[in-house]
Amino acid sequence: MSVFLQQLINGLSIGSIYALMAVGYSLVYSILNFSNFAHGGVIMLGAYIGLYALHLLPMSFLGALVIAAFGAGLIAVVLEKVAYSPLRKRNAPSLYFIISAMGASIFLENLVIATIGPTFKTYPQIFNPIPFTFGSISVSRIDVLMFVIAAISLAILVFIIEKTKVGLAIRACSYSSRGSNLMGVNVNRIIFVIFLLGGMLAGIAGMLFGMKYTVYPQIGVITNKSFIAAVFGGLGSLPGAVVGSLLLGLIETLSSAYIASQYRDLIAFTLLIVVLVIRPSGIMGKITEDKA
Amino acid sequence: MKRKVSLFISIMMVLLLALTGCGGGSSGSGDAATDPIKIGWIGSLTGDQAPWGKCESQTVQMLIDETNAAGGILGRQLELVALDTKGDANEAVNAVKRLVSQDKVCAILGPNASAQALAITGVLESAGVSDIATVATNPKITVNDDGSVNEYNFRVCFTDPYQGAVAAGYAADILKYKKAAILYDVASDYSQGFMQYFIETFEAKGGTIVAKEAFKAGDTDFRPQLTKIKKADPEVILMPYYYKEVALSANQARDLGIKATLMGGDGWPSDTLFEMAGNSLEGSYVVNHFDYNDPDVKPLTEAYIAKYGTTPEINCYMVHDAYKVLLAAIEKAGNADPQAITDALTQVEVKGVTGTIKLGEKTHNPEGKEAAIQKIQLNPETGEFEYAFMQKYGAN
Amino acid sequence: MFSWFYIEGILILVGINLMVVLGLSLLTGFTGLFSFGHAGFMAIGAYVSAICTMNFGIPFYAALLLGGIAAMVASLFIGYFTLNLKGDYFCIATLGFGEAVRLIFDNLQYFGGARGLPGIPLETTLAKVVIINIIGIAAMAFLIKSRHGRNMIAVREEELASQAIGINVFHYKMTSLAISALYAGIGGALWAHYLGFIQPLMFQLTKSTEMTIMVIFGGLGSITGSVVGAFILTFLPELLREFAQWRLVVYGAAVIIIMITRPQGMLGGMEFSLKGIIRFFRKFGKKKGQSAINAPEGGAEG
Repeated sequence: MSVFLQQLINGLSIGSIYALMAVGYSLVYSILNFSNFAHGGVIMLGAYIGLYALHLLPMSFLGALVIAAFGAGLIAVVLEKVAYSPLRKRNAPSLYFIISAMGASIFLENLVIATIGPTFKTYPQIFNPIPFTFGSISVSRIDVLMFVIAAISLAILVFIIEKTKVGLAIRACSYSSRGSNLMGVNVNRIIFVIFLLGGMLAGIAGMLFGMKYTVYPQIGVITNKSFIAAVFGGLGSLPGAVVGSLLLGLIETLSSAYIASQYRDLIAFTLLIVVLVIRPSGIMGKITEDKA
Repeated sequence: MKRKVSLFISIMMVLLLALTGCGGGSSGSGDAATDPIKIGWIGSLTGDQAPWGKCESQTVQMLIDETNAAGGILGRQLELVALDTKGDANEAVNAVKRLVSQDKVCAILGPNASAQALAITGVLESAGVSDIATVATNPKITVNDDGSVNEYNFRVCFTDPYQGAVAAGYAADILKYKKAAILYDVASDYSQGFMQYFIETFEAKGGTIVAKEAFKAGDTDFRPQLTKIKKADPEVILMPYYYKEVALSANQARDLGIKATLMGGDGWPSDTLFEMAGNSLEGSYVVNHFDYNDPDVKPLTEAYIAKYGTTPEINCYMVHDAYKVLLAAIEKAGNADPQAITDALTQVEVKGVTGTIKLGEKTHNPEGKEAAIQKIQLNPETGEFEYAFMQKYGAN
Repeated sequence: MFSWFYIEGILILVGINLMVVLGLSLLTGFTGLFSFGHAGFMAIGAYVSAICTMNFGIPFYAALLLGGIAAMVASLFIGYFTLNLKGDYFCIATLGFGEAVRLIFDNLQYFGGARGLPGIPLETTLAKVVIINIIGIAAMAFLIKSRHGRNMIAVREEELASQAIGINVFHYKMTSLAISALYAGIGGALWAHYLGFIQPLMFQLTKSTEMTIMVIFGGLGSITGSVVGAFILTFLPELLREFAQWRLVVYGAAVIIIMITRPQGMLGGMEFSLKGIIRFFRKFGKKKGQSAINAPEGGAEG
């Protein structure tokens, strides 16, 4: 039983990292309807920004977190201006956005390798590394912290989207950006806000990821998992992204614990296909009908 | 629109021309007695293997500078042509094709991983140029399944079966462990090879493998697998993979309350490892190619630090020995003819930093080299972790 | 300049990539489906054909075909479940498929596991690649000119409308995916017999995206474009070798620049034809600079 509980905690902890990454990705999807594959690159840069903020400036953890968030948000906005905005103006199909995003992700990863270097970097030890233990179950402090920060940032995000005027505009755009535009919503500004918010979440996710594990140029690879999680939950749906992520974390953990760790991803992918066959728009995704 | 396109194409063309011009400039060197002798190097300068590849190419450059400053070899200077493979087998083939035909190198050093070394076998054969691999440990690189030897593939490191057997032998015979668990990277050739031969030897010596768990390259969280390993209660856990994952998995293992001894191979050694997971790794054993505190080894470490400002990876030492073997072979051959060098490679004996290197004619592997067993300890004087040399240990 | 031995190797790679790109072009360019899993089809083709020639002594060309067919069978299986999915859902499902294939080969010791399969006979020569490519291009051109090809384009343009006028959308998507996988499988088989060594690591997600980028770069909905894309993007990293660490940075930037300046690719929707060349030269005679771009490129490759 205690092993099962430990595995449950392991799964939730892995899932919450996926969640932080998946929400930013889903946010962009909800408005622009394309998979922002450069999101992983922004997360990676967020991790580096947080690292250097801590190393170079006399900075508290929270200060560095804020810098990482805004730094990554800025990068995401610039990325949007350079790589997506020209496409948007031409109403290009989402395929082109995806390719552009892939180019950006190759660019960012290798830019870091060429400038900062390929070696792994570590965050300074900020928190007590000794885990909380309950009997034979252990929970690391950083996991608890991550969970709290993830919850707070997601709560803020939900507040912005549900309670503010900008949020109303975002929700309107996610239904129909052309319609909102006609109603006087400045879609360009909304997209700016979306990328800023998504980038900030990426920065926070990156820094927490870096603190928990380590910082290296290929962090972006792990975000493939969060894309899958977002699809599980339903693209474009924020609660879906969270649910999908936690679910994916649990599936991965339990399948390596009770079936075979060699085939963990195979099991996860098979389940993904099963979910999609039953519910083609994921667990909580909006069902889109083709409009002729 | 069309004008824009033709502009774009013409820019591309100019770019291509400029680049081919660059390429053309560096080629076309004959084999005149005064021209520099060209030595090729391939390995990862980009991709996730880049930390090792970068160190390796820097070391070769440093060594060639040293040789040149001392007057070169056979009265000629040396020149390095280092090409990136992205850690990719396909790129390695391209790079070698270019090195042997266009740059006309006399021999190639590297690559730093088995897959690339395996993939270039065919090209080396058709071109008749030799390659000395540094840390490519797959046995099939030099000797095929049927026992025939690949004529142009050499290496200066031990092989996976040897490394696995040493680790298992040491764990079973010296440390007297009976129950071992393994965590390995299912997508890594290095990891699978090491694991396979560890299991063979460990079971032959009467031990049991109580758990065998896998992760996939790119993973950073190993707690599900480790939780399972914890339940199996092993005395020793083999971690046959590279140091980033080692540091993460070791930390997570300790977090979960696993007390077993950890054991690993030549993917471990690195300063970053201690920075990330020193406490978790205290008391672990490493099968290494050599001992860091050996007086033969230290000058190289210091020279590298003086030149590049960082401590070298293990590849620095391996490529140093490969380079020394190559130099000796060039000297023995008396010219820079690739075939003459190939023939001389098994005829020379060199004292390198990792021991005396003599490449066997039937195996193209270094013969009679023993592995160095190291234990990770906290040095009470400096307060830093270090690799304490335990003993030289050979598999038999 | 460059030596022939080196150039020949890259040309063979162009041919290998071109097979995969042609298949992908049918799927992405002509049917409008986006796949992240083509490295998986390549892997199946590579492994099956390698085992055929190594362990069963099957002749090279037959092994190629068997590799391609194996990939096609796999595509029918995966397509049956996923082709009804929309846009990015299909895309992520294929991503999952590609990674799953890799994981399976990692675990199968019969195929060498993660350590790879060395000692595959080096059968792929430039002449063979050229012959196979010519057959591949001709077959593809024939298919696209046919009624089936036009129906696929209809599916790409307006899925709902095509359905309404009686085109079986699912059927055409399936056909397109299967043929695409056949090409990818043959490409993978050629690759295996060129390198003489394969391992699952070679068939990563990046391989799939690399191929997709070639299709987009050359231009969607154009076979000529695919040829040009495969040529340029296979050669480009080799030409950029002098930049060492910066070459992938340049590559990434180049992809973005292409997308934002000319998202339909170099030759989107255009094809090489004799008429085009004649028209081009006539124009060229009158007005320098105001050139139609399809002709010179087509002329160079054709």
